[in-house]
Amino acid sequence: MSEAAENRGLRILVVDDEDIVRESLTEWLRDDGHQVSAAPSARDALRLVAEQEFDVALVDIKMPRTDGLELQARLKEKAPNLSVIIMTAYASVESAVRALKGGAYDYVVKPFDPDELSHLLRRTQEHRSLRTENMRLKQSLEASGEAREFIGVSTAAERVRERIDTVASTECTVLVQGESGTGKELVAQAVHRRSSRRYNPLVVVHCGALAEGVLESELFGHEKGAFTGARYHHKGKFEQADGGTVFLDEIGDISPQVQVELLRVLEEKAVVRVGGRQTIPVDFRIIAATNQDLEACVRAGTFREDLFWRINVVSIWIPPIRERIPDIPVLANHFLERFCRNMSKKPKTIGADAMEALLACPWPGNVRQLKNAIESAVVLGKDNVIGVGDLPDWVVATADRVRPRTLADIESSHVRRILDEVGGNVTEAARILGVDRGTLYNKIKKFGIPRSADDS
Amino acid sequence: MALGESSEALLRALMRELSVRLPVPCGHHEGASIAEPPRVPGRDQLDADKLLQQVEGVPRADDALLVCLCAEDIGNRIFSYFFGRARLDGSAVLVSLARLDPRFYGLPPEEAILVDRAIKEIRHEMGHSAGLQHCLDPDCLMHFSPDVEALDLRGAEYCADCGSVVSRLFAPAL
Repeated sequence: MSEAAENRGLRILVVDDEDIVRESLTEWLRDDGHQVSAAPSARDALRLVAEQEFDVALVDIKMPRTDGLELQARLKEKAPNLSVIIMTAYASVESAVRALKGGAYDYVVKPFDPDELSHLLRRTQEHRSLRTENMRLKQSLEASGEAREFIGVSTAAERVRERIDTVASTECTVLVQGESGTGKELVAQAVHRRSSRRYNPLVVVHCGALAEGVLESELFGHEKGAFTGARYHHKGKFEQADGGTVFLDEIGDISPQVQVELLRVLEEKAVVRVGGRQTIPVDFRIIAATNQDLEACVRAGTFREDLFWRINVVSIWIPPIRERIPDIPVLANHFLERFCRNMSKKPKTIGADAMEALLACPWPGNVRQLKNAIESAVVLGKDNVIGVGDLPDWVVATADRVRPRTLADIESSHVRRILDEVGGNVTEAARILGVDRGTLYNKIKKFGIPRSADDS
Repeated sequence: MALGESSEALLRALMRELSVRLPVPCGHHEGASIAEPPRVPGRDQLDADKLLQQVEGVPRADDALLVCLCAEDIGNRIFSYFFGRARLDGSAVLVSLARLDPRFYGLPPEEAILVDRAIKEIRHEMGHSAGLQHCLDPDCLMHFSPDVEALDLRGAEYCADCGSVVSRLFAPAL
């Protein structure tokens, strides 16, 4: 709620069958700066709520026909964001508990102190303000693309989503495998978000980025004086994730010594900080990820077999994007929309030539690389349609190199590119191509190239 | 007008202070009384709403605002107490001295505090009778004070906006 809205006061609906109560409350609440409407019955209250928006309803618990508790339920159906405060002259715990269980924000016992009502309304206003802010933050987070899902229309993508749904509700350890840039962390986030641990932290550890000694301290924590520079005790990632999930990215990169420690922590569900003696019980779920062939690492003796089987309870394999071609247009359009929005640019589309190049590119860096290419195109592209010329050179070059081409394909593509470069000016394009205008017109017709610009 | 047992000294002190603060003719309506003030059923309090209605009906000079100082505690069926009551654009103000008195909170009597609070409350309710609602400025006399501590902290003067409304209605120098 904005400061201006707070200053306007709350929009309050008073529901009570007694005239004196409605009048007295209405007058007092108006004096206190709120906008007040009053209803003598549940029926009138429901009609008013259907007609206008309220922040708070002060509802008497004891009314003829429909009582306050029943009205509360019906009000919440019509206006889920309405904060209902039940007024009762009968200070029974039972009615208060029923009111709160039914979703009431709070209850007050008549007669109430003016300061009690004033504090309660202020608290309600703060609560609503926080709720609104929370909702706005969530929306902005989703809009910025941070709250992401695993996107794709291919059978492979569908299989990954099914696997996420299946494992999320369990407590088992998950091993996510896939090439670099396929979205392993995104899968870990999706599993955590769907699990019962979602209200607790998801702690991410990039194992490959940390030196051995640092990783041990990061994972298990350390006591004060455990090593030079350890001036304070430090909680490790497992302790930080208590009740939540630990995502161990690049687990194939951890040293044999840390593998031993990790195996012990996974089996005992307890950590001992570096330099410490005390065993600290921790409640966590592990999701590990790697772009290495861990079975091969086991065979080569660089990864412990017992740890491999401990983390590989359920595995999710994310195929590289070159093996799920149907996902490329969907992902490209998703990133396009997101970057246009984030950069406050007008919505763009991807032209047929550019999409052709995107589909032909093998994407060794997978989705991450595709995302970067689209971001670059949004930054550099001047028109509302992303053309092949807006894509990074390496995308076009790689696409050209790997795509099976006929001579006609190459000729068509070259004519398109030159026309793009000169903004559709046929005379200029013909000059660059070293042909006369008539020849170029024939080629445009032959290759079905759309005419978008003036050719004078 | 005074209702209930308030000391002569206190009433004199209040009149003196009001005369200083309100540069409009200000006098004690000695003849006015209410024979049986209405009470809140089941509670040792006068019913503020009904009492205010009766005070509004007390005969007086045509344009006079009647301030009723009441020794007893006031409330109504909804609120357990009020310091004062007045209707927006009303012709009377009701102020209870009961909860403004330090003795109500188990403290020794101190007339200066009581007078200070009473003057603040009277002028606050006069603001309502001039058509003012509560003001967001915490230093303004029209700011809402849910308890006596807040009343003590509240400023003793109207803010510029509220002051201009009150002075237009009552007196240019108020």
